[in-house]
Amino acid sequence: MSTSAAVVRDETVEVGGGRLRLHVKVAGAGPPLLYFHPLAGLTWQPLHDRLAAQYTVYAPEHPGTSPGDPEAIRQVQTFWELLLLYEEAVRALGLQRPTAIGQSFGGMVAADLAATFPLLFDRLVLLSPIGLWRDDAPIPLMQMVAGPPADVPGYLFAHPEVQAAQLPADPEQVPAAIAQSTWNIGCTTKFAWPIADHGLGRRLHRISAPTLIVWGQQDALVPVAYAAEFGTRIAGSRVELIDDCGHALQADQPARTWAAISSFLARDH
Amino acid sequence: MKFTWFNLMPWPYLPDDFREKNRSVWVDIDQKLFDPVKSHEVYNTYMDLLEYAGTIGFDGIGVNEHHQNGYGIMPSPNIIAAGLARRTKDVALVVLGNSIALYNPPVRVAEEFAMLDCISGGRLVAGFPVGTSMDTNYCYGQIPSLTREKYAEAHDLIIKAWTTREPFAFNGRYNKLRHVNIWPRPIQQPHPPIWIPGTGSAGTLRDILQRDYAFVYLSWDGPKLVGRQIFDRYWQLAAELGRDQNPYRLAFLQVVAVSETDERAEREYAEHLQAHYRSGLGAIPATAMAVPGYAEPAAIEGMLRSGGHGGMLARMKTATYREIVDSQVAIVGSPATVADQIEAFVREFRIGNLLVMLQNGSMPRDLTEKNISLFAAEVLPRLRPIWDAEGWENHWWPRGQGTAGAVPKAAGAVPDAAGAVPDAAVGGRA
Repeated sequence: MSTSAAVVRDETVEVGGGRLRLHVKVAGAGPPLLYFHPLAGLTWQPLHDRLAAQYTVYAPEHPGTSPGDPEAIRQVQTFWELLLLYEEAVRALGLQRPTAIGQSFGGMVAADLAATFPLLFDRLVLLSPIGLWRDDAPIPLMQMVAGPPADVPGYLFAHPEVQAAQLPADPEQVPAAIAQSTWNIGCTTKFAWPIADHGLGRRLHRISAPTLIVWGQQDALVPVAYAAEFGTRIAGSRVELIDDCGHALQADQPARTWAAISSFLARDH
Repeated sequence: MKFTWFNLMPWPYLPDDFREKNRSVWVDIDQKLFDPVKSHEVYNTYMDLLEYAGTIGFDGIGVNEHHQNGYGIMPSPNIIAAGLARRTKDVALVVLGNSIALYNPPVRVAEEFAMLDCISGGRLVAGFPVGTSMDTNYCYGQIPSLTREKYAEAHDLIIKAWTTREPFAFNGRYNKLRHVNIWPRPIQQPHPPIWIPGTGSAGTLRDILQRDYAFVYLSWDGPKLVGRQIFDRYWQLAAELGRDQNPYRLAFLQVVAVSETDERAEREYAEHLQAHYRSGLGAIPATAMAVPGYAEPAAIEGMLRSGGHGGMLARMKTATYREIVDSQVAIVGSPATVADQIEAFVREFRIGNLLVMLQNGSMPRDLTEKNISLFAAEVLPRLRPIWDAEGWENHWWPRGQGTAGAVPKAAGAVPDAAGAVPDAAVGGRA
């Protein structure tokens, strides 16, 4: 199941009446697929290479998270504006009914896009998305962001001790990497602080694209109880729970995560 | 010089093993440690002592706003200041301040500060902090990357509410108000002097100087460790922006403990100061201070490469009395020792308004009373005339009844009957 690394290129697309140039990583060939990244920004991973073997993958960088362009976040005032900008980007890129995959923070974005614009996506995959809130299953997003960096893997991985640190090997590059990911979290939490609930639960019923929801049973950031919350609100959706797996699905269980996604995408809907 | 006793109002009954058994003194501090019955005495003792300070030579008494905090039990400083306004006559009420991004709408601050100014007869200093992440983002849920924008809008709205003489509409991003028309409005015109507490980022200092406000450096580290870099930057920026070198543009907060001798000071204050730092500032998780969304990538990278600003914060959890005193994080000793050390840094950094913290941690009533009395009687008089020879006017001091106006006695100007001083440049921007 290994896949060779895709050639990734940068594209920019102008949205918001020229206020913002959205940076998009593009790779592969085939039908269009959008990937919306989690809180800390876009990291190109083997999952993206696998997708790029079958699709043209478009992975937009949340405004402000593109290196060298931190101020872009100021052009997006509200979550509603963020959704409008992405819908504009889909049209500006000329994508016809792309498949959408959204992860964690990006899952909230993708789900709300699908609910707000029900004809936008052909299919939707949500990988442990935020966006809902239950008092009996609080999401410790603020604790993760405010806590010691050493605690972060514990929120993301079922086996934090075996996950390699995400920092560059060259110590000279470490400060810049930490600075960028800290800023990225500031840019995404702009729409997720202190509780990431923009009323999505009242819109999920509008989603008409066939939808897959994937969750790790040991998710320590967004408890697995939310899988059923999404599942029951999105008519006809399918929920896949993966055992021995935390929030960062493809890091903890790459094979099973890929199997769930690829079999869903391969099916006729 | 002007002297203000500034009290955070710490909870004095934190257990000795607090720092070992608690993650934080702030935000998620253990509810059970607050005893409402005991707090009756705590609040009233602190208010008694602040009122007393107002009768023995202090020019101002100071309060501030913190939320869900074990070393600051004043979520509403305005309530305390209202009590003090009634029971004091001629001291400035230095409210440092209201975290204006937290008030909805911020017109509330314009109204309450106006009330305090009216009740006190024009004795209010209006402090507008941006607010710490702990109060603003963690306790009150503000979005970190929007806090400064919201603060800036609140500031503009409050100033406009104070200075506009007819109803106006305010179509802000965070405040949509069709009729802003505050009743009452402050005695001090165009508005009370504005002090901006901060930790000295260049952008904040520039704003303060451009608006002609006073900067309050709320140092947790004393003058020695970080004073040089902050104050040199401030005065250099002042020069660049065409502002004068008036020392009253600058206020500085310093922990001080005075006794008859240096040895006696150590005996009396050491345990309370250690408790203050270990269970107070030392019990704030360092990462909570640096919430993502405040500093931009280049600034974060700079901080990481320079290893922070050289302060004591990271070590406060285990700070010993000797470290605290040697580093001047607290200035402790006989009146002569304390006055010598303060005079040296005041002159070096051109500080016109000194805020002294004289009650810290678990320090009990009688010891606090001794500290404020000795400071007022034996330290303050020696320091008071430091800037007189240069003849500066303190445009950042309240002009209300009995507060000695905006002008040092040596300069000879007297407030008129309405409490106004001829130069109405206070707060500048109006």
